[in-house]
Amino acid sequence: MFKPQQTSQQFAPAREDLAVHIQHLNYFFGAGDLSKQVLFDISLELPKGQIVILTGPSGSGKTTLLTLAGALRSLKDGSLRVLGKELVGLSDRALVGVRRNIGFIFQAHNLFESLTASQNVEMAVELTGNFSSKRDQAGAMLSALGLADRVDYKPQSLSGGQKQRVAIARALVNHPKLILADEPTAALDKKSGRDVVNYLHALSREEGCTVLMVTHDNRILDVADRIINLVDGRLESDSSPNAFIQSKQGDPTDVSADMFIM
Amino acid sequence: MAKRIPLAWLNLIHDRRRFATSLAGVGFAVLLMFMFNGFMNALYDSQLQLLNRFNGEVIIVNRLRTNMFVPRAFARRRLYQARAFDGVQNAYAVYISEVNWKNPDTRKSRVVRVIAINPDEPVLNIPELDTHRQALRLPETALMDTQSRAEVGPIEAGVITELADRHIRLVGTFTMGTDFASGNGNLLMSDQNFLRYFADRGPEEVERSFATVDVGVLKLEPGANVERIVKTLQENLPNDVLVLARDGENGFVIRERKYWQENTNIGFVFSLLTSMGFFVGIILVYQILYTDVADHWAEYATLKAMGYKNIYLLGVVMQEAVILSVLGFIPGVLVSQLLYQAAGNATGLFFQMTAARVINLLLATFVMCLVSGAIAVRKVQTTDPADVF
Repeated sequence: MFKPQQTSQQFAPAREDLAVHIQHLNYFFGAGDLSKQVLFDISLELPKGQIVILTGPSGSGKTTLLTLAGALRSLKDGSLRVLGKELVGLSDRALVGVRRNIGFIFQAHNLFESLTASQNVEMAVELTGNFSSKRDQAGAMLSALGLADRVDYKPQSLSGGQKQRVAIARALVNHPKLILADEPTAALDKKSGRDVVNYLHALSREEGCTVLMVTHDNRILDVADRIINLVDGRLESDSSPNAFIQSKQGDPTDVSADMFIM
Repeated sequence: MAKRIPLAWLNLIHDRRRFATSLAGVGFAVLLMFMFNGFMNALYDSQLQLLNRFNGEVIIVNRLRTNMFVPRAFARRRLYQARAFDGVQNAYAVYISEVNWKNPDTRKSRVVRVIAINPDEPVLNIPELDTHRQALRLPETALMDTQSRAEVGPIEAGVITELADRHIRLVGTFTMGTDFASGNGNLLMSDQNFLRYFADRGPEEVERSFATVDVGVLKLEPGANVERIVKTLQENLPNDVLVLARDGENGFVIRERKYWQENTNIGFVFSLLTSMGFFVGIILVYQILYTDVADHWAEYATLKAMGYKNIYLLGVVMQEAVILSVLGFIPGVLVSQLLYQAAGNATGLFFQMTAARVINLLLATFVMCLVSGAIAVRKVQTTDPADVF
């Protein structure tokens, strides 16, 4: 196993057209003798406006990569620029500031049961300080996601798909330039899952925001501009959806192009 | 409507049943503190009920009478001497003794305290004295304290029984309350009747006469300087008596309270119990707050991922703590008020809920909830948004 390179290494300069720019990133869990490396020399460029699906077997480090890009972990090695900001070596406090420009969508909706759909979304708007217009912004975003008539419902009276759409509205209401999604469709049925993915697709096209999505859900691979396969902490492949499917054709249990409307 | 969403409040009231039990828990801790604190204060305050009714600014007692329990009298002529000083308007004698009272129903004897005064003099601020003055002048009559313990039997005008093995008739009642020195109750009678019962009680008992007085009450002329008169009297009267102002820092009433504070474990015991109530409250509130944080940790972690700082989440938990302390205090204080009344009726002790005591315990409740909150927030601080994925 090679020694991780020191931070004195020269990295390419910041580029305006990249939402996420990862260079020679190594990441370890734990410290000292117990430390275990989970990401090995990752270099990745995500241009603005792309939808990128991150896939791979469990334990391959997908989620870790996602949380690193989301400024949820502090890192020391390599270079990770998100929306033009270098995250390596940032303090926890500074990381919080970076997170405000990122929309997170989780596998679970993580909505407050005590708040209405609108209030849950307004929690995100309050971060921007727009207290007077927060209700309108939340209402507009919920309407855009087809929940205009559910604005004042509490999560317990919403269906699973509706809850996930509220969570997406919360992630998108501040119009983030980067959206990180972890299995956003895992808890949804086929139709709801497809709706959610279509919203993300439309959003990225209309607002030019970048979407990085971890998923095992083969039904939604078609929305991606790129599919990145991560195995054992290393980048295995980086290809278009069609090429990705072709490469999997040998395996009958896996994906086929017939599943998509392309 | 440009306000923050009151997340703490909404989280608390979301589950109404849990909210109600939470408030009941805080209320119970408040109740514990109020009861223990109340008993402590009642035991102290009760000692002062008789003292506060003496109708005079200056009190004379035997120097050896360090508290109302000590049965030491002083020579009555000291009162006549005191009356000669400038500024002293009048000097009244109070005779106090303890003797057996026979419960007319059970025929069992119980010790009661007899307080005797000249019914024609305004010695005591007891309004019932005015209405029963005429009856008290009759031989073998007395007034019974309605707050006396149940052991003395029925307390009403017309009860006929025995006091010191002699016939006695109750001609009415008054309301004062018992204390450590009062035995099972207080009996109020005229000084003439006092002589009838205590002048000749047999070879083993101390004979009482008008020659000795238990408490002397001096009424000063209006506008007189109490401090100066106390000083003059103490300097000029023989040293067998102690002259004290009734009220004030070094007064007779405070001296009695201090005696019980310094010579009993009441303060220690009840302060300990009160602080136990305080810690029970801390644990209860901590449980409530911890459960809230644990149940919503994914949501709180999501807030952190969205860009909320730790300080915001700490604020939410602390707000919940403050809401619980204030809203839990209200039922606690209301139920305590009822229990104070019930306990006062059952024991004859003097339970009073003064504004200062309520505010003190409100502050204690507040601190209680803040401490719990401070422990519970560590859970929020350690919530790692990266774990939500």
